[in-house]
Amino acid sequence: MNLVKLCSHMLALFAVTAFASAAETTPPADARVAQHYAIGKISTPPGVDPQLGGLALLPDGRLAAAFHHGQVAFYDFKTLNWKIFAEGLHEPLGLLLGQDGSLLVMQRPELTRLRDTDGDGVADRYEALWEDFGMTGNYHEFAFGPVRGPNGKLYVSLNLASAGDTIREEIRGEWSPIGLSREKFYDVADWKKNSTAAGRMYGRVKWRGCIMEIDEATGAAELFATGFRSPDGMGFDAAGNFFVNDNQGDWRGTSPVHVVQRGGFYGHPASLVWRPDWEGTEPLKLPIEKLNALRTVAAINLPHSFYASSPTAMILIPQTAAWSPFGGQMIVGEMNSGRVLRLLPEQVDGVWQGACVSFVDSQALRGGIHRLLFVGDTLYVGRTHLIWAGGEGIGTVKLTKTPFEALTMHATPDGFRFTFTAPLAAGAAEPARWPVRRYYYKYHEPYGSPQTELTQITPSKVTVSADGLSAEVAFADLKPGFIYDFNLSGLTSKQGESPLNPAIAYSLNKVPAK
Amino acid sequence: MRFFYLLVLAVTLTSSGLLAQPAPASKAKAAPAKKPRIVKMFMRDGLRFEPPRLVAEPGEQIVVEIENNDSTDQTHNFVLLRPGTRDAVVQAGLALAEKGPVLEYVPPSADVLVHSRLLAAEGSGSIAFTVPTTPGIYPYVCTFPGHGMIMYGALYAGVTPPPIEKDPNLPPMVAHGAVAGGGQRPFAQRIFMPDAGPAAVAIALVGSQNVCWDAGQCRLRYAWQGSFIDASENWAGNGKILPIVPTKPWWRALKDDFPLRFGAVDSAAPKVKFLGYAATTTGPVFHYRAGVTEVYEHVLPAAGRPGIALRLQIPRAPGLVFYRTAADPNAQWTSSAGTWRDGVLMLTPAQAADVTLTLTSALCTP
Repeated sequence: MNLVKLCSHMLALFAVTAFASAAETTPPADARVAQHYAIGKISTPPGVDPQLGGLALLPDGRLAAAFHHGQVAFYDFKTLNWKIFAEGLHEPLGLLLGQDGSLLVMQRPELTRLRDTDGDGVADRYEALWEDFGMTGNYHEFAFGPVRGPNGKLYVSLNLASAGDTIREEIRGEWSPIGLSREKFYDVADWKKNSTAAGRMYGRVKWRGCIMEIDEATGAAELFATGFRSPDGMGFDAAGNFFVNDNQGDWRGTSPVHVVQRGGFYGHPASLVWRPDWEGTEPLKLPIEKLNALRTVAAINLPHSFYASSPTAMILIPQTAAWSPFGGQMIVGEMNSGRVLRLLPEQVDGVWQGACVSFVDSQALRGGIHRLLFVGDTLYVGRTHLIWAGGEGIGTVKLTKTPFEALTMHATPDGFRFTFTAPLAAGAAEPARWPVRRYYYKYHEPYGSPQTELTQITPSKVTVSADGLSAEVAFADLKPGFIYDFNLSGLTSKQGESPLNPAIAYSLNKVPAK
Repeated sequence: MRFFYLLVLAVTLTSSGLLAQPAPASKAKAAPAKKPRIVKMFMRDGLRFEPPRLVAEPGEQIVVEIENNDSTDQTHNFVLLRPGTRDAVVQAGLALAEKGPVLEYVPPSADVLVHSRLLAAEGSGSIAFTVPTTPGIYPYVCTFPGHGMIMYGALYAGVTPPPIEKDPNLPPMVAHGAVAGGGQRPFAQRIFMPDAGPAAVAIALVGSQNVCWDAGQCRLRYAWQGSFIDASENWAGNGKILPIVPTKPWWRALKDDFPLRFGAVDSAAPKVKFLGYAATTTGPVFHYRAGVTEVYEHVLPAAGRPGIALRLQIPRAPGLVFYRTAADPNAQWTSSAGTWRDGVLMLTPAQAADVTLTLTSALCTP
């Protein structure tokens, strides 16, 4: 018997036990999720790669979806059939209904308006609404959006390039002279060395790492904010505040959610060169204190891998009976696991901060949760992966029975105030039932960050309201600049349920004044 | 979390002379060990491997990372075989009958070079191996009963693969689907293209001609005849691998030379702005601004001759319009109007309002 055969036999034998133990069973956590959420799927168009870049709802009630190979297709909920509307787009990663009834799609090279001028149900005009941004051809230069702000403007975000590759010989747009010389980018033999000098993620062509504001009628674009790395998710809350998330990596100790203001800088230095007031200093060479002074910290940090590794779309839960009591809250998708999280932001003395908590977390949801859209009582999740962790196809989620868990969380002068979806059982006032891991993530150039100054703490005092629906959790020393990562698995409802999603992490930037 | 990770099978195939010997750990030859190349392989709905084929160097170390993303909950494996043994191994797999499950449907055969575990839907695993040193076309197949006749692909080791739609080593449906647009003509695909700016458009024209049009530079870049681009590896990855233009272009534009000039032949190249395109039954009509002048450029097959045509419509030309072409002994430009001199077409504003340029070449076949 030759070695190959031997290997093959040994592996096959070994395989038996390993595979048997990995047989598909529903893990207990997923079974619990299934008691509260109905998770399903819809088909995707036959013959079309089922990785989703965008979802939108058409005025006639059909679902529009953009796919990895460049198709946009419409799904009819009545006939359950797909119809191809547009084809040949370059990695579309966002869809939005235009104010004039056209369909806006963000593809790698441009923000495009799709029109069906002859009414045959297929797009015949692919109009470039905005293409005045740089491309080096680096694979990581994704383009996300658009989302529409309360002022009617469109917002798109442009990914930085990755040092995982260099740039193409021909590029589009102006090259910033600030940083490693362009010649070095072509010295591919030495790319490993050169890439370090280029920056782990770099933005040497226009508007990379920036949020742009676009006029929907004219395509006129204006720089809105800088400091991003891979900002896949953008959304607005009901009051019109603009939320943008980003991916853990260099200058991103963990994945942040920012509340973005015009002119703001949000931490990743590469895009600083595109600020009109930038005076030519290489951002990578700025002292950290200077960058710290320039930047606005994250409103909410999504602790890496525990909560999210690669956050995506952010939308609001509709305020309908079907989604009560969560209506109005913001959710965010996550690429690396079958998880959608709730975000609980608040503004304290002008500073944004808040908590994140899992919402639906189940292998039944698969991974790669990229785009989110509520249609009626159903949440549609569009998945993707490219070469990374993720999934494919379109999943559906319906809330069938409200789970017991924290509903809201606010900072108070002494700690935090929680509300719950169901009354707490007796004993919830015992501080030991509210263990906290307190830590922060470093702001620095290296990729990611350990949980720093990690301490296990318990509250000094917990006061539960008479109706059992809220609790005040006080700490002896409340430290701003830390994440308070609660494990509420020791709590139970009066019905004896433990929280469906017991982990909730609050990024405390500012302690409210007494 | 989501996937139950199966074992990484680090197999160095050393037997039978067919396979590469592991590099001797000699201190004299202290070349740094090259990291194995990672190749992604997805199992897809409709019994498909994606990418449908792999290209590797003989003796290359690769790690195939496999994910079963079949949303129809099908179970699959990935089995790499000796050249020409696919049918036999698939039959041997079927013949396992009730012994199949225990062996994860992999028949004990010397023709099996390496294989993955059986992967349930959502499962993933990886196999590390050294590509055989003997150049050849090594099939890979799913041996789960009923899948092997449809679900297969080919590893080309030291052998240049044919155009994908003509590849006899791929399932006919896959070969068809690997061509962007699935064989539709005309078809425009925006995608990274070799020898062009990053905002490129690949166009399959009715007939057998194809062109690359650069939306960043608003001009034609090159033309080739035969099958359209194979974008399967570009799409299976993150965009880093460029699509394959399966035949050598028979014509290329000059680099950095926008062809239109206004007023004088040697006037400065106007700044261009891409405005989009209309999809028509004969090919896309690009719309751009060159300086302040709007231009419509319809790319279509040449009428009655092998080649391509550009119908230019410049409704409000400010004066004389010049179209510059590159010196190319094989290429022949003609036009429906205007005057040619030294490879430059001169058009009056009235002529520029609607003129068709035709490009043929001795390298084109009817």
